Amino acid sequence: MFHWLEKNPFFFAVAVFVVIAYAGIVTILPDFMNSARPVVGTKPYTVLQLAGRHAYIKDSCNACHSQLIRPFKSETDRYGMYSLSGEYAYDRPFLWGSKRTGPDLMRVGNYRTTDWHENHMLDPISVVPGSIMPKYTHMFSNPANIETAYAEAFTIKKVFNVPYDKADMPKLGTYEEATKMALAEAKPIVEDMKSPEVKAAFARGEIKEIVAIIAYLNSLK
Amino acid sequence: MNWLNDNVNLLGLLGAAAIIIITVFVVGKYIKQIKNEKSTGELVGEDWDGIGEYKNPLPIGWSLSFIGTMVWVLWYFLIGYPLGGYSQIGEYNEEVAAYNTKFESKWANPDEQTLLGMGEGVFLVQCAPCHGVTGDGINGKAADMSRWGTELAIVDTIVKGSKGMGYPLGDMPAGMLDKESATAVAAYVFEKIAKAGKSKNSDLVATGEALWPTCAACHGQDGKGMSGSSPNISNYGKPEFVVDVLNHGKKGDIGTMPSFNDGRLTDIQKLAVGKYVNSLIE
Ligand code: HEC
Ligand code: HEC
Ligand code: HEC
Repeated sequence: MFHWLEKNPFFFAVAVFVVIAYAGIVTILPDFMNSARPVVGTKPYTVLQLAGRHAYIKDSCNACHSQLIRPFKSETDRYGMYSLSGEYAYDRPFLWGSKRTGPDLMRVGNYRTTDWHENHMLDPISVVPGSIMPKYTHMFSNPANIETAYAEAFTIKKVFNVPYDKADMPKLGTYEEATKMALAEAKPIVEDMKSPEVKAAFARGEIKEIVAIIAYLNSLK
Repeated sequence: MNWLNDNVNLLGLLGAAAIIIITVFVVGKYIKQIKNEKSTGELVGEDWDGIGEYKNPLPIGWSLSFIGTMVWVLWYFLIGYPLGGYSQIGEYNEEVAAYNTKFESKWANPDEQTLLGMGEGVFLVQCAPCHGVTGDGINGKAADMSRWGTELAIVDTIVKGSKGMGYPLGDMPAGMLDKESATAVAAYVFEKIAKAGKSKNSDLVATGEALWPTCAACHGQDGKGMSGSSPNISNYGKPEFVVDVLNHGKKGDIGTMPSFNDGRLTDIQKLAVGKYVNSLIE
């Protein structure tokens, strides 16, 4: 048999793969369909949160922050319960990240609040002396891209059957309805903030990027 | 230098010399073999780009262990591993259980100093990003721990009201008393209800007591909060009150403080950080 494999490089490569990946195959495959289902309570992102998620990706927060708490006591002490695969069911793409220059953010919504994020994003050093996280002042002037966020939500609803508009799930509705809901969702966040620029813009019916990203960070639980 | 007096050096040198001598002999032997000897034996049929291979019998011990390993691998791949079910979560649970047992036995009867140390550690990790490394609240971004819990803070609370801990009675309204009466009530609360020591305005305690019914309507005659309708202010400024804040969270006029109910802090850690906060009060 080995002789035959030696003469057939393709099958040789397949055999090597099977041997190396064996542990993964027997532990991951049998339960894959099951563990990839959304965990009870996991919901798709609202349009405002999605807009924040886009800002998160655009500004490469995932280059410095992971979103995956491993089952080690040292991690669960600092960040909370370890992550389950089903919790990422609506993350497209998932933002596990691979490097922790800053802390994990998988459950940052449990222990940071709107006013803290505002201070921190405006000037990280003002709250965490010695922080090397950059300032994100532009988020206070850039508008959140609600349109793209709606387009994404609409697409994944149609194409992947993401359960928007189902019982107990976020409503999506038409674009007009969605913008109204995004404004309603942004309201309490803007109220908890101090920036006059953000407040003035909101009074004009405009949502700044910082509001969207705070909505997203607060939703990470 | 007397480095030959040292046993280790001496042994090292002897070893090096032995290695050199053995190497010379062995290499010499093989070089001679390459020069003089012709290889003999039966060739395997194959020809890999002009390179052939002899049929050499495998040493018995080697073959046996090779076959043994294969049998073991088949058992392990097909039966041992998939059914033996190693689980990462299982290992995590064991790690946590072992840690908790150790933690509980180690901190079974912590003295004040140990608790304060533990509390400082928790504070620097969990609280400092909002309350500041020194607990000063970073220019009003969160409660200033040196002022919180004092008699003055009670006056502030009465004048400005208090909200956001989510008690059934809701918010405590602002402006129930003017500043003067508030100072008197604060003296009474500090000295008689919270029993936190002698008030700075001891002479006002009696005046305060007369006004106490205003407060007792919500906080109860003893200040204990009428079984959970409002906060137990007989603990005000004490570690137990901090634990209460940690369990409730607070969305007040300064900002929002998250609750700590997601299992990141154990009860003893909450009490410890409460003691530490208590030690910051001026
Ligand atoms: C250059 C790397 C870097 C980038 C990029 C970065 N951060 Fe950070 N972040 C850090 C570091 C380092 C810390 C820890 C110090 C601190 O709290 O400021 C941190 C802390 C945080 C925290 C506090 C977490 C905690 O548990 O205390 C939040 C929230 C956060 N970052 C959000 C973001 C967001 C949102 C973005 C993208 C807009 C971002 N970060 C981009 C490095 C980075
Ligand atoms: C209408 C009911 C009501 C009355 C009357 C009332 N309180 Fe309160 N008090 C509350 C509630 C509810 C809270 C918790 C508020 C919160 O969510 O932070 C509270 C909180 C407090 C606190 C804790 C504040 C903190 O920093 O967390 C103090 C101290 C206090 N009250 C003192 C008083 C005193 C002194 C009086 C009398 C002048 C008084 N209260 C009258 C309802 C009341
Ligand atoms: C995300 C930021 C944040 C974190 C983390 C945080 N706090 Fe706070 N805390 C606040 C803010 C903001 C307030 C002020 C709330 C108000 O009165 O408006 C506050 C208020 C308090 C108060 C006073 C509550 C009262 O009754 O007036 C105490 C005590 C306190 N925090 C203790 C802690 C301790 C102990 C920790 C760490 C285990 C902690 N906090 C972590 C933001 C935070």
